[in-house]
Amino acid sequence: MHRLLGTAILSTIAIATQFVPLLAAVETPSYYRDVRPILQRNCQGCHQPSLKSSGLDVTTFADFAKGGRRGPAFMASDAASLVLKYVKGELQPVMPMGAPPLPKDQIDSIAAWIAAGAKDDTPAEAVDTISAAHPPIYSQPPVIGALAFSPDGQTLAVAGYREILIHKADGSGLVKRLVGQSERLNSLAFSADGKQLIAAGGSPARFGEIQVWDTAAGTLKKSTTLTNDTVFGGSITPDGKTIAVGATDNSVRILETATGKELQKIGNHENWVLCTVFGVDGKRLVSVSKDRAAKLSDVASGGFLENVNLLRGELSAIARKPGKDLVVVGGEERVPYIYMMDRPKVMKIADDTTLVRKLPRQDGNIAALAWSGGAKEKIAVAGLAPQVNIYDPETGTMVAACTGHTAGIYALAFNPAGDRLATAGFDGHVRIYSADTCQLQKDFIPVPLLVSRQ
Amino acid sequence: MKSALIFLALGLTAQAAEPVTFLRDVAPILNKVGCTSGPCHGAAKGKNGFKLSLRGYDPEFDYQALLYDLSGRRFNRSDPARSLMLAKPTQQVAHGGGLRIEPSSKYYQTIFNWIAQGVPYGDPAKDKIASIAMEPATIEMDKPGTETQIKVVAHYLDGAVRDVTKEAVIASNIPDTADVNTDAVVKGIRTGEATMLVRYEGKFGTVPVTVLNPQPGFAWKPLPQNNYIDQLIDAKLKRLKIQPSPAIDDAGFLRRVSEDLTGQLPTPAEAKAFVADPTPSKLKRAKMIDTLLARKSYVDHFALKWGDLLQNNRKFLGDKAAWEFREWIRDSVATNKHYDRFVREMLESRGSTNDNPAANYFRVTRDPKPTMEKTTQLFLGVRMVCTQCHDHPFERWTQNQYYEMTSFFSGVGLRPGFESGEEILFDKRDDFDVRHPKDDRVMKPKFLVAATTASLAPVALPDGSDRRKAFADWITSKENPFFAKSMANRMWSYFMGKGIIDPVDDIRASNPPSNEALLDALTKDFKDHDYDLKSLIRTIVNSRAYQAEITTNEWNETDTVNFSHQTPRRLNAEQLMDALTQATGVRPDFPEAPAESTAEAYVDPHVGRDGFLDLFGRPARDSACECERKTDLALPQALNLVNGKTISDAIADPTGRIAKASIAGVSDRALLEELYLSTLSRQPTAVELDKGMTYLRGGESRATRAQDLLWALVNSKAFLYNR
Repeated sequence: MHRLLGTAILSTIAIATQFVPLLAAVETPSYYRDVRPILQRNCQGCHQPSLKSSGLDVTTFADFAKGGRRGPAFMASDAASLVLKYVKGELQPVMPMGAPPLPKDQIDSIAAWIAAGAKDDTPAEAVDTISAAHPPIYSQPPVIGALAFSPDGQTLAVAGYREILIHKADGSGLVKRLVGQSERLNSLAFSADGKQLIAAGGSPARFGEIQVWDTAAGTLKKSTTLTNDTVFGGSITPDGKTIAVGATDNSVRILETATGKELQKIGNHENWVLCTVFGVDGKRLVSVSKDRAAKLSDVASGGFLENVNLLRGELSAIARKPGKDLVVVGGEERVPYIYMMDRPKVMKIADDTTLVRKLPRQDGNIAALAWSGGAKEKIAVAGLAPQVNIYDPETGTMVAACTGHTAGIYALAFNPAGDRLATAGFDGHVRIYSADTCQLQKDFIPVPLLVSRQ
Repeated sequence: MKSALIFLALGLTAQAAEPVTFLRDVAPILNKVGCTSGPCHGAAKGKNGFKLSLRGYDPEFDYQALLYDLSGRRFNRSDPARSLMLAKPTQQVAHGGGLRIEPSSKYYQTIFNWIAQGVPYGDPAKDKIASIAMEPATIEMDKPGTETQIKVVAHYLDGAVRDVTKEAVIASNIPDTADVNTDAVVKGIRTGEATMLVRYEGKFGTVPVTVLNPQPGFAWKPLPQNNYIDQLIDAKLKRLKIQPSPAIDDAGFLRRVSEDLTGQLPTPAEAKAFVADPTPSKLKRAKMIDTLLARKSYVDHFALKWGDLLQNNRKFLGDKAAWEFREWIRDSVATNKHYDRFVREMLESRGSTNDNPAANYFRVTRDPKPTMEKTTQLFLGVRMVCTQCHDHPFERWTQNQYYEMTSFFSGVGLRPGFESGEEILFDKRDDFDVRHPKDDRVMKPKFLVAATTASLAPVALPDGSDRRKAFADWITSKENPFFAKSMANRMWSYFMGKGIIDPVDDIRASNPPSNEALLDALTKDFKDHDYDLKSLIRTIVNSRAYQAEITTNEWNETDTVNFSHQTPRRLNAEQLMDALTQATGVRPDFPEAPAESTAEAYVDPHVGRDGFLDLFGRPARDSACECERKTDLALPQALNLVNGKTISDAIADPTGRIAKASIAGVSDRALLEELYLSTLSRQPTAVELDKGMTYLRGGESRATRAQDLLWALVNSKAFLYNR
């Protein structure tokens, strides 16, 4: 016992000594420089948007100021602010919970900042050096999460890092760079008239964003941020007025394209929603999720209509037949399933009458699906196996296999004529194949790469 | 594309850095900082949508999870510092697991460089580890309080050598004796031995630590050595400065060895005669051992142990088969069937269970997976259970091996026989493939290790072989590194209260033997005698170590693992009931058991169910684990001893020992002697006699007073324990 006590005293002395030089520096207390790092390191494990222990979120200044169930975390110049009482142990349980108490100098930092008025001095654009005038610089090609051909078949939009790169459809040149905030864009979709380009994504574990671009001008018409993580699988109605995305809060969000106003938040899924597709008339929507379900919802009311089916693995991709309410879904089970959105007869529990066809099992989890238009329709299936397989939807037989990839493929797009297939993914290359034979037409890196000085 | 894109201001520090690979550099960090631990992303379902393999046993899976999940969401080649896999553990974004990596640390830089270099996986032919080595290989400390640094060195397949001390996970198996901190500094806490278990990327190693007794004045006083067991134990004790306890007196020896060999107390007459016998003690004891080994009660006692381990139970087998299985076991014990044949007869059994009761072995577990788990645990002391779902976290056994081993038993078919309760065991001709749950591939039978000590590489079985015969050949081979060893160890534990490896059915690199030379010698002896179990038993119980007192001296009082003294062991439920039968002279009557049957001879745990026997820890025979039998003495047992009807009724029974003695009119002295001899197997001391006689004569109702004395005796530790 004596020995233990001795050790405790010794280590207290050691800590105190260690921090003396830090205390000696006298500066104006700063939220951004002093307090935010302490919160980040010690408090955000629990007090974050997805957990909100005690109703408190400290990941932004505004949320921190708002406080939790016990009231505002701090009041300017109030030495009895809640946060101080908790870290000092004047209120139970002592924070941070289940960890050693904060060192005295850190408590002093928070106290000094509150005493000095608790001002938010976060710089406006904290560190951002990327903008339209200073587009991203790449030393390696980025992982590509989305591709889309414009409805006129002239251009191919490629999701890069913090930007969309508009290339000529045959890959012969970069046309435009649309620089935004989102680090990752998980989906790209043109409106039917080609005037708008929708990009859905965000920055992982930070924020989600839906971007609406004016394709002619190359300007961002509307950016809507939502949730605290990226959004997935954005789609747009044929009339271009409504957008749907899947989110990590298990919801599907329906937004008005022009204003970004949220029309519906549909909460039928039990896990992240990874892809969405509208029906032909834009009145119904199918969403797929990590919860293994594909769910059919009514867009106007947000109401749940039915499960398209409940499969054995997580679902990550969905595509609709052009002009018809048939969808193909796929994911962890590696088998693409083609389903009707409408039932041919009255449902019985767990029946499978809407299943049209199963396509052959793939060598890796499915990450992307595409259904071509054109005279002879095709379904392209891609995922963690470095090969895209093309099938005839009518018979389920394989038409061709597009090879040449070195790793997983996350994005697929057929051109409007249905004779070209663009693919991209882990290795950062875009490959354009002839859709009938899988003959490689073009293989290019869609971003300007930094030229090494060596 | 503008060729003028020559920028330097990247903030990347990766250009000049050494090449980083996932296998060699990144995976160890994930394991060290805890990402892959059981409560975090190593959990069966992962954590918060992100799953890694438990303790990183499957680096390929982890690589894919980190890089391919959700289209590569967790890393950012364009701006490595913005990668989710860096932002999370440094708590730059909210992370449920808290701060795991300091942004200023070497670990951060390694992961950063790896992303900046394009996340290379590495070449398994080069970047995987061939072996790890520790320096020093063993540690001996002069006294508690000493500190020693361990260095862990990894040898890679390409010949590279690297100091991985910082990333290796090191733990002590007995932290009270010697502990280790995160800097791999071992500190001796108290006199004794401990083993540091070192783990790095699926490789395991151990560093034995000895903390010597610094107390001055130790002088080794040699005691007689009865056989090689004592030589090997003494050699170690002498080095550790532990003075063993001497052999127990004749009376104590007889009680101990009778219980251990036959599960019965010596009768009062035997106890008296043995002490009175003038033959030199060592010879007298050896003769008594042979006498006991030839008794029917020896068969009862060891058939009971096998009945437990083989889960002979009417619940699984029905009445007829359970009795027949019991007879087969008893016959095997009675004829001293050599252990390899005993095991082989079960593993190769075929046909009607009525004609071949050994086939009941397969009726208890039925499915190939539990049969394999039972077989490896019972006969090899190897636990495969955890490898059903993932590689063994503390051993080299893999998930593949679980299914390869299972396929030795997947051809066993069972169908109803002609008589009720009969089943026919047959070999399936088709549809017996075992498939791997991950990818459905057919797993061919493959031995866990080659049956030779020279090479431990697993060996595949040629197609078309008789799988069970091949398995029986392999398991009983003298080259099998586990078969003889696990039995020698298990048998040792029956007499010493603890295995040299303990628990006895959990042999693994991270559970080292307390005296390897001793276990090796016992194993060799067992093999040299062609798996003769009686011979093995005879050698153990003839040793001085077995016959040692439980009383300790100042040098061995803290020793619990080196067999420097005996340990009191509570009598098993059945032993206790039979001891009470002798003490009180009244046998419990269960309608299911034949009259005059000892508790040790009951067919299964359904006899006298939910009563005294179950309270005192009789196993339900639901498991092949030695641990299913309980021998603790906690409040429920203590209350039963003090207040329970079983004991009080037996003591007061009108046909019991005291009633008979009263009717016969034996003297007080003779009665006291009889009570002591029938319970503690010895004569009362002069003081005990004096106090006992005073009590008996202290008032009316001598019989009730005698009953009180008997009650006190059976409640004494000397009665309840084998000591």
